[in-house]
Amino acid sequence: MSVLPEGFVQYHFRTAIGGFFEIPTANAIRILPPHLQPVEPHHGQSVLSVMAFDFHDSLVGAYGELIYSVHVAPRLAPGGRLPRAAFYPFLLGTTTKASREHAIERWHLPHFMDDIALTFDRGPHDIRINAAHGGKPIVDMHLTDHSWENVSHNYQCHMHDAAGSYQSTIVMEGPFSESEDERGSIVVHDHAFNAALDRGEINTTPFREMWLKDGLQTFHPLQLLVAP
Amino acid sequence: MAHQTLPPESTPPPPDAPASNGAMSEYDYSNFFYSSSDDLFTIFGAYDDWWYGHAREKGYYLFYQAMSTAPKPRIELEEGLHHEKRALLNLASYNYLGLSYHPEVIAAAKGAVDQYGLGAAGSPTLSGTMDVHVQLEQALARHMGKEAAMVFPTGYSTNVGLISGLVRPGDTIIMDQNVHASIVDGAILSKANTRFFRHNRPDELDRKLRDVKGKKLVIVEGVYSMDGDVALLPEMVAIAKKHGARIMIDEAHSGFVYGPTGRGVAEHFGLDDQIDIHVGTFSKALGGMGGYVAGSKSLINYLMGFARSRVFSCALSPVVTAGVLKALEISEREPQLRERLWANVAHLRKRFADAGVDVAESTSQIIPVMIRKDPRVFAIGEALLNAGLYLQPIIYPAVAKHKSRFRISVSSVHTPELLDSAADILIDVLQREKIL
Repeated sequence: MSVLPEGFVQYHFRTAIGGFFEIPTANAIRILPPHLQPVEPHHGQSVLSVMAFDFHDSLVGAYGELIYSVHVAPRLAPGGRLPRAAFYPFLLGTTTKASREHAIERWHLPHFMDDIALTFDRGPHDIRINAAHGGKPIVDMHLTDHSWENVSHNYQCHMHDAAGSYQSTIVMEGPFSESEDERGSIVVHDHAFNAALDRGEINTTPFREMWLKDGLQTFHPLQLLVAP
Repeated sequence: MAHQTLPPESTPPPPDAPASNGAMSEYDYSNFFYSSSDDLFTIFGAYDDWWYGHAREKGYYLFYQAMSTAPKPRIELEEGLHHEKRALLNLASYNYLGLSYHPEVIAAAKGAVDQYGLGAAGSPTLSGTMDVHVQLEQALARHMGKEAAMVFPTGYSTNVGLISGLVRPGDTIIMDQNVHASIVDGAILSKANTRFFRHNRPDELDRKLRDVKGKKLVIVEGVYSMDGDVALLPEMVAIAKKHGARIMIDEAHSGFVYGPTGRGVAEHFGLDDQIDIHVGTFSKALGGMGGYVAGSKSLINYLMGFARSRVFSCALSPVVTAGVLKALEISEREPQLRERLWANVAHLRKRFADAGVDVAESTSQIIPVMIRKDPRVFAIGEALLNAGLYLQPIIYPAVAKHKSRFRISVSSVHTPELLDSAADILIDVLQREKIL
């Protein structure tokens, strides 16, 4: 087993799923810091991705994670390569305090500051997640699979907090399914976790569904883009 | 507060870094639309790497191949990778009634070039309107059963000029998510609030119209160009009217082929008088180029002043205008062209049904042959080309992921024998490629 270079961090997951939903760009712009531009699949419509991870091995043990992101234009240096996509996670919820503190300190990722409950109900060709907090539901999402292939995908992740703006490359590896069959669904509940979203304006059917099984997530070292 | 801006990542990761496969070969146009950098041209490097290093040879060369004949059922074109001339069966051209090279159309165009020269030499608002333009607009209004019609230089500029000329910031446009890019671009230019409803879903249109205040325009197409399915127009019209919205239909692919007299899908459903704005093109069934709006005299009069894509463009070439005028006359005079088209569509559909070819929800003369396995579509396109059949691959992002396809455009000038030959090639290739 090779030793990771300094600054790289790996997280092993059993399940990583993501649903992409259209939201009004006005909502996306309210969420994004000024230096980031939302990607619009349709004019006036930006992309909310709702992702859920079931990590079984990491620096901070096993935990579940719910991530809300807005997709943004990737940064590109002269001669550089474009990532598969770039996104700005604007709120994460985790099932353990240790994972939350780790992600805030290490990656400057904004968190819901209390444990959430996250359940994965896996079928042979579909999967349901239910996230809740304090006995109240946050979000229910149902996604389906299509066809599976082994992949290694590069993503660009943007972070922003009082200390500055950052980016990191995230590599996702494992058996992967992606489709635009519009067979999934989402219910976004009335909960403080969802306060940044215009719930009535979220398209309840994902235009894209992604699913990785038994894979590996690798964070590259954080880069400071804008410092105070 | 002073900020220090640092450059984005430009150094490669260390050699012992984990695999960092950008999977450039799997990228598509959508990966290169957005980027953020300090120089507008930075994207060119990444795009060139993709295009010349991966995309072109992978199969994108199948686009932009140059044809050296009229878009007849048998054509000659230069294959895009090795630049070899190929004689092919053609099921890719829009020429639904075969009028682009009809002898009378060609004669009309030749007469016009002698009379008017090549171009209109002016905007229609100024010196560019010629008597042949007026004749075409009058003939169109009569054909459509409307008070007036207006001709635009292209189909694209028709939608852009119409929508941005009529709709204002604060108004709301609600359109099917599969409408043509020209409709979307017109909506963007209008600066109106825009909403998309899921394709051909009246319930979604109803949901999107709820609580919308002020002026509203609903936009659908007669036949959708990628799927070949027909708008659920009766339901759409009823919902639009319930909410007090005006309704516009773009009959680019259905004008002159649908309806008892060829007025389009609106006529097919008996809803001609319920539609507020009719749009169409001359580049499909009539085999020319340009577009039109038909409706009330007041609508056309207003657009004369405010459809900027028309006001600030040179008028449609009088040569093309004369050809289109003759093509319209032939389409009215010879309903048997439409009858032959629909007989051909039925013939080809039966061949496909018998062989189990997946044509999705299509019911029109546009027949998508669904491949669905995106990575395979270019290889199949190349196999079809090598076997003598010209079809265009349609891939993401023009259609959704795993919805890749070949799009067939049936014409009245195809013969059953030629359609059988084309079907034989297609079915054989799909079987060899294990799609069937």
